[in-house]
Amino acid sequence: MQQVLDVLINSLLAAGLYATMAYGLAVIYGVMRIINLAHAGIMMLGAYATFTLFTHFAIDPFLSVIFVVPLFFAGGVALYRTVVRRLPRSGSTPSMESLLLLFGVWLVLQNLAYVLWSGDTQSILTSYTLRSVSLLGVRVGVPSLGVFGMSALSLLVLEFVLHRTYLGKAIRAVTQNRDAALLSGVDADRISAVAFGIGTAFAGLAGSLLSTLFAFTPDFGRSFLLKAFCIIVLGGLESVTGVAAGAFVLALLENGTAAFTTVPTSLQDALSFTLLVVTLVVLPHGLPELSRLVRDRGRA
Amino acid sequence: MTSKKALEATGLLAVAVALFFAPSFLERGTLNDVWSVALAVVLASSWNLLGGFAGQVSIGYSAFLGIGAYTTVLLALNGTPPVLTLPLGALLAAAFSVIIGYPTFRLRGPYFTIATIGVGEAVRVVASSLSFAGGASGLRMPAGSFDFESNFRAMTLLAVALVWIALAVSRSAFGSALAAVKQDIDAAEALGVNSTRLKVTVHALSAALVGLAGGLFAINFQYVSPGSVFDFRLSLTIVLMPIVGGVGTVAGPVLGAILFGWLQLKLLEIPALLDSSLFVYGALLIAVMLFEPKGLLGLVRRLSARRLRRFYVDA
Amino acid sequence: MTGMRWNRSLSFSVLSLALSLSGPAAAQEGTIRIGAVLPVTGKESKIGGAYKLATEFAVKEVNDAGGLDVGGKKMKVALSLLDDTSDGARSAQLVEQLMAQQKVHAVIGGYGSQLVQAQSVVPERYGIPYISGGAGATSIYGRSKWVFGVLSPVENLASTQMEFLSDLVAQGKLRKPLKIALLVENTEHGKDFEKGVKDYAKAHPGFSVVLDESFELYAPDFRPLLGRVAAAKADLFMCDAHLEDFISMQRTYTQMGLYHQMVTYGARGADEAGRKALGAATDYIFASGWWSDLLPYPQVKAFNAKWKAAAGSMPQWYHATAYETVRALFAAIRKAGSLNPEAIRAALAGIELKDSILPGGVLKFTKTGQAVLPFVVTQNKPGGKVDLVWPKEDRTGDPVAPMPKG
Repeated sequence: MQQVLDVLINSLLAAGLYATMAYGLAVIYGVMRIINLAHAGIMMLGAYATFTLFTHFAIDPFLSVIFVVPLFFAGGVALYRTVVRRLPRSGSTPSMESLLLLFGVWLVLQNLAYVLWSGDTQSILTSYTLRSVSLLGVRVGVPSLGVFGMSALSLLVLEFVLHRTYLGKAIRAVTQNRDAALLSGVDADRISAVAFGIGTAFAGLAGSLLSTLFAFTPDFGRSFLLKAFCIIVLGGLESVTGVAAGAFVLALLENGTAAFTTVPTSLQDALSFTLLVVTLVVLPHGLPELSRLVRDRGRA
Repeated sequence: MTSKKALEATGLLAVAVALFFAPSFLERGTLNDVWSVALAVVLASSWNLLGGFAGQVSIGYSAFLGIGAYTTVLLALNGTPPVLTLPLGALLAAAFSVIIGYPTFRLRGPYFTIATIGVGEAVRVVASSLSFAGGASGLRMPAGSFDFESNFRAMTLLAVALVWIALAVSRSAFGSALAAVKQDIDAAEALGVNSTRLKVTVHALSAALVGLAGGLFAINFQYVSPGSVFDFRLSLTIVLMPIVGGVGTVAGPVLGAILFGWLQLKLLEIPALLDSSLFVYGALLIAVMLFEPKGLLGLVRRLSARRLRRFYVDA
Repeated sequence: MTGMRWNRSLSFSVLSLALSLSGPAAAQEGTIRIGAVLPVTGKESKIGGAYKLATEFAVKEVNDAGGLDVGGKKMKVALSLLDDTSDGARSAQLVEQLMAQQKVHAVIGGYGSQLVQAQSVVPERYGIPYISGGAGATSIYGRSKWVFGVLSPVENLASTQMEFLSDLVAQGKLRKPLKIALLVENTEHGKDFEKGVKDYAKAHPGFSVVLDESFELYAPDFRPLLGRVAAAKADLFMCDAHLEDFISMQRTYTQMGLYHQMVTYGARGADEAGRKALGAATDYIFASGWWSDLLPYPQVKAFNAKWKAAAGSMPQWYHATAYETVRALFAAIRKAGSLNPEAIRAALAGIELKDSILPGGVLKFTKTGQAVLPFVVTQNKPGGKVDLVWPKEDRTGDPVAPMPKG
């Protein structure tokens, strides 16, 4: 029983972080149908930004978020205006050019990190990094709690923005049906810029949070990028709750197989990939499609 | 045969003959470089069959190189000669491409690409867990299996053959069907093209060629490990070369391969740029995507067309 | 008149050409050409770069002293050090280039088992001696008489740790039976470490391996894996990991409140970087390695001093092994008395370097070409202190076992 509780609580905590990571990817894809491969690089930069603020200005990593988020939002908008906007528009179908372009951006970011911070392994050690508390009999590290708290807060803020502001409505409209939204008078360019900024800000936030948990180098981010893909494929793009659900399912799968099966954890990534491919093929719209199918069947 | 085709045929034949006799009058270092460029040409051109002609971008091609390489090493350790291991490696790579092709080709555009990334990584992880394949430590070829000259000739011949295959495909009905699928898959289907079968076929052909190159790779380096053949960076380079050179054309991948070979050597020589290979590749990719999606070849054609136009207009 | 002038200028230019050709050739006659291929950039660049520094340091030392004595003549060493960017295929090609085109007299191998594996197939083709200070994987050696390795097998790194643990049992500090939870990174290094531990446990009742798992490099979420470690309820925790994973894993270990009587991360633990990142969480972790600056030999103290003077900080194990590799090669060339490849090779095969800075104080190669020397075991003590606890005769402090709780 304790083990089940252990798995549930750890999955929940992990899911918070995963959702934050995934949402950054989801909003950019939803609004612009662009797959942001630079997401991993931006997360990595977020981690290094927090690291720099910590080592040079002694700013606590969780507080550094106050600086990181706006900075990355601005950076995202700038990136959109200078580079992404120039891409040939492909309408509502996702484009190959953007995929490869942003991949190029990722490579450049990695090199930038090597130059600025060298390839040495870095990490952030604070007074509370190694401390832990007991939650329902499960030992949980203090940073993990902080990360979960931040993630949950950011997602709540996001939910508020999406449902209570015009901006949020516009984003949801464009995500659902771009042409109809444009017809309704939504300024596509402005919304795209803002969406890109939000996506980058979330990536930066995720990176900051990750830096409190793990050690990192400029190569950091790849395994998380693939997890993020899994999640948006699972959770669909429609809503924050979808992404959160997808994040939880993935985290549950990882912790569950480790706790209750003897599948080697080194094959964990391979498992996520298989899940990704299977979901893409069977449920192109992710879990929300599954729930809709079930609901519709019940209705008929 | 038209004069253009005659010219092409003689050109390719001349290159093949020159390369055949190269070991006699070039020194080893240069031969090594030519071999590397030949390998790059094979990989880039094979990828281009699926990625350029059919428009399906796969970032998981190192899987086929690895399958070809490992097949050769494993069979060679059991006493099988290269004349058998090489085709078997190609066959296995093709078979694998079919197995993953059917499910993944249901996906369109970038979804397909992401799926291929996933497959590539999964293959690497699985390969490094298989103990009969040496696990993470890899495997060595048996002693005495190294013969540089015949390997050189095989690889360069394969490169020339690939150019010929690309030419042949681009001019055939098969090639037209691929182009139709690339442009508008639904329209193609409406016209009676079985797009899935087409994609799977070209994927298999492309994978087989890469698998063949993988076998030659294994023999040349005498050692394979998951890190060396199932590398994600390698998959990326295989994609970058034809795109930078000119995706969808026959000369594009060749140009891209030569450019990358040259870049690799140059970057090593300039100490200031030592750590910048990522930057250079990334910047190239960005530049191509933003300014000239048709790659180097497209740029060359555009510039020469403009010059011709100016020539005619001014005159 | 013109004809004569033409003739004279022709003969003059021919003469000067002949002189210029013989000039550099004569200079080349007087230098020893040594090649080296190292991962200065790329994945292995951290230690690869350190190997480069140490190799250049060793060569400079010899050149500053006037050169190497070869059969009575003093010759300078010309080092040609190339970067393989941590790519195996390129690494092999560069070694090929050094041997075939630059015609070096010997090659110093790279760092990292995979890179050295790729390089080690080349020397046999050219009959040029090759010595590596950067790979302990046993499968590399024994295949070619031209390949030598200064690093002892990684299996012995593990078995040395086991011997150390057995000794703690003999001292009464630990009590059998002892169950081991074993985690290794999915690399050759990790697999060799795993083999060392398992083979020893099989041969020594009282030790049993109750959990044996491998993990992918740089996938930093170790929570699920450590959950399995917790469930295994072992007495000892043994892990083999790279620095990044060591930091992430030990953090999670500490946060989860896990406890084992002894904890090791293979060669990690005493690294400065690790101590900086983990603080008190590294206390009492023991590690074993190919070298430690704490070895109480006079030659080690001398090396520490001159390295510190030149580099500004104490040498790490990889500086020492790289340095000693070059020194072994030079000693062999001196012993051979000539630059003939076979002579150098034979000298290397039979060498016995008696003032070696490596553990045991003597460097020599076994029949396979690999050196099999003792390993050191160090244990971290509170306050940033590190003690050498094995070999026993070289101890600088007593081992603490079991680790204090909390």
